[in-house]
Amino acid sequence: MIKLDNVTKVYKGDVVALRNASVEIAKSEFVFLVGPSGSGKSTFIRLLNKDQTPSAGRIFVAGKDIGELSSWKVPYLRRNIGTVYQDFKLLANKTVGENVAFALEVIGRPRHVIQTQVPAILDLVGLGNKAGNFPHELSGGEQQRVSIARAFVNRPLILLADEPTGNLDPATSVGIMQLLDKINKTGTTVIMATHDRGIVDRMRRRVIELDRGEIVRDQVRGVYE
Amino acid sequence: MAIKVDYVVRETSTNLFRNLSITLASILTVMVSLFLLGMALTVNLGVNKATQRWQGGIEFIVFINPGATTEQVGAVDKALRESPEVEKLTYVDQNQAMEEFRSLFANQPELIDTVTPDILPPSYRVVPLNKSSDTVEALSEQYRGKPGVKSVVSATETIKLVQKLSGTLTVFMYVVAGVLLGASILLVLNTIRMAMYARRREIEVMKLVGATNWFIRVPFMTEGLVQGVIGAGLAIGLLVLFRPFYERIVPDPTQFPLFSGMVPASSELFGIYVVLAFIGCVIGTIGAGVAVTRFLDV
Ligand SMILES: Nc1ncnc2c1ncn2[C@@H]1O[C@H](COP(=O)(O)OP(=O)(O)OP(=O)(O)O)[C@@H](O)[C@H]1O
Ligand SMILES: [Mg+2]
Repeated sequence: MIKLDNVTKVYKGDVVALRNASVEIAKSEFVFLVGPSGSGKSTFIRLLNKDQTPSAGRIFVAGKDIGELSSWKVPYLRRNIGTVYQDFKLLANKTVGENVAFALEVIGRPRHVIQTQVPAILDLVGLGNKAGNFPHELSGGEQQRVSIARAFVNRPLILLADEPTGNLDPATSVGIMQLLDKINKTGTTVIMATHDRGIVDRMRRRVIELDRGEIVRDQVRGVYE
Repeated sequence: MAIKVDYVVRETSTNLFRNLSITLASILTVMVSLFLLGMALTVNLGVNKATQRWQGGIEFIVFINPGATTEQVGAVDKALRESPEVEKLTYVDQNQAMEEFRSLFANQPELIDTVTPDILPPSYRVVPLNKSSDTVEALSEQYRGKPGVKSVVSATETIKLVQKLSGTLTVFMYVVAGVLLGASILLVLNTIRMAMYARRREIEVMKLVGATNWFIRVPFMTEGLVQGVIGAGLAIGLLVLFRPFYERIVPDPTQFPLFSGMVPASSELFGIYVVLAFIGCVIGTIGAGVAVTRFLDV
């Protein structure tokens, strides 16, 4: 599903965020990216949906070299990759339902699809009764569920999550992890960057550890360190 | 992928109203610049028409009697051609005279209907070598009263003055209009840029979930286009309102034949309006186009 072939990312000012990273991730795997702050986790994730481009090396998503993707095709790549961030990125002036519908609307999905998909996904994330609420009327955990619903409503092959529990308390985080696990069980590949030792140790999934841009550990059913 | 019309309409109108004051500023600038341009074009058109017989250094015209004999015409023709003081000579036959008449009185079709080519005099348009008024006067005098010559009309100082004044005036108006057009492009650009800034979170989410670049751009492009079109529409409206005043300023052509043609016909004005509407669209599109390619980063 995903393959990094000797990928290096150097930002301007000679910051090496990723160095000679090679890794393969199979379909429906669940992978944790761990490592200290600045080790390159977010960079790893940004390279996968072509928010950033590698300085060297090649990246394959679903068998395609995304380095060869012309810029007008990048949106179509992103339709197959859901993305969740620590800060939710919800639109404050839209309700929960509208936030999710927006993601379908702007990729040109017909109205009847939107009308059936949005309630279904909100039920899946456990917010079936909050469709008419605005984000500020929701708890942090609920807001993150909305952002997961938005990322998953188009049924992407891959879900990228950059510290999705970073702003949440441990109990709420457990709920979010159960949701991501549920999504993973539908066959979606999930890649999650995290600092949350408790979660990683409890879930026992594949762990890729980065340190100053290098992959220093790749462990099945791994632990935080 | 088809971009939904209702989506574009909704996004464009919220954008337009979100920054109402700066949107108005750019619409009004488009309006003023196109109004000035329209005025300049109208005056220019009128003056060109009224003085078209006198363009290219023509100093006097020898009108031939429509009933003159071939010999008489031949004599005048020969005299003009052989004169060392004539630099350039143009013969306007009756059909060409009819064409000229038609354009001169385009806004008085009832007048055109009463005229046929055979009653219009053919004429010689003369560009003399020496253009000082004394020599022109002396030269034209030679043909006055010759057999077959109906009349000799020389470009009076008034015509020269009108040409010169209107030339200077319209150049000035074109320059001001040009500067204002540049300003309106910049204003549209900045309005769109502000609209994009106001919607940066939406844009970020759109990129995240895979909206195409054109999907993101189109509402902003139409916003620019709408500003240009509204500005042009207002300018055209102003010109229509202003037309009676303009016609009143121009001296009555029945008393001053010189000014016949100064008031453009409706069809000619319509041409000017089309040009203004087109320029309005171009301003909006350029302003918005630069804004989305420079600042949208998609
Ligand atoms: N857009 C950018 N431009 C320049 N340098 C960047 C950029 N993004 C990240 N970096 C640098 O690249 C390195 C890796 O950053 P990255 O965000 O990938 O780390 P991270 O592992 O996600 O850290 P954290 O755990 O704090 O989120 C850091 O030194 C960072 O300063
Ligand atoms: Mg990070």
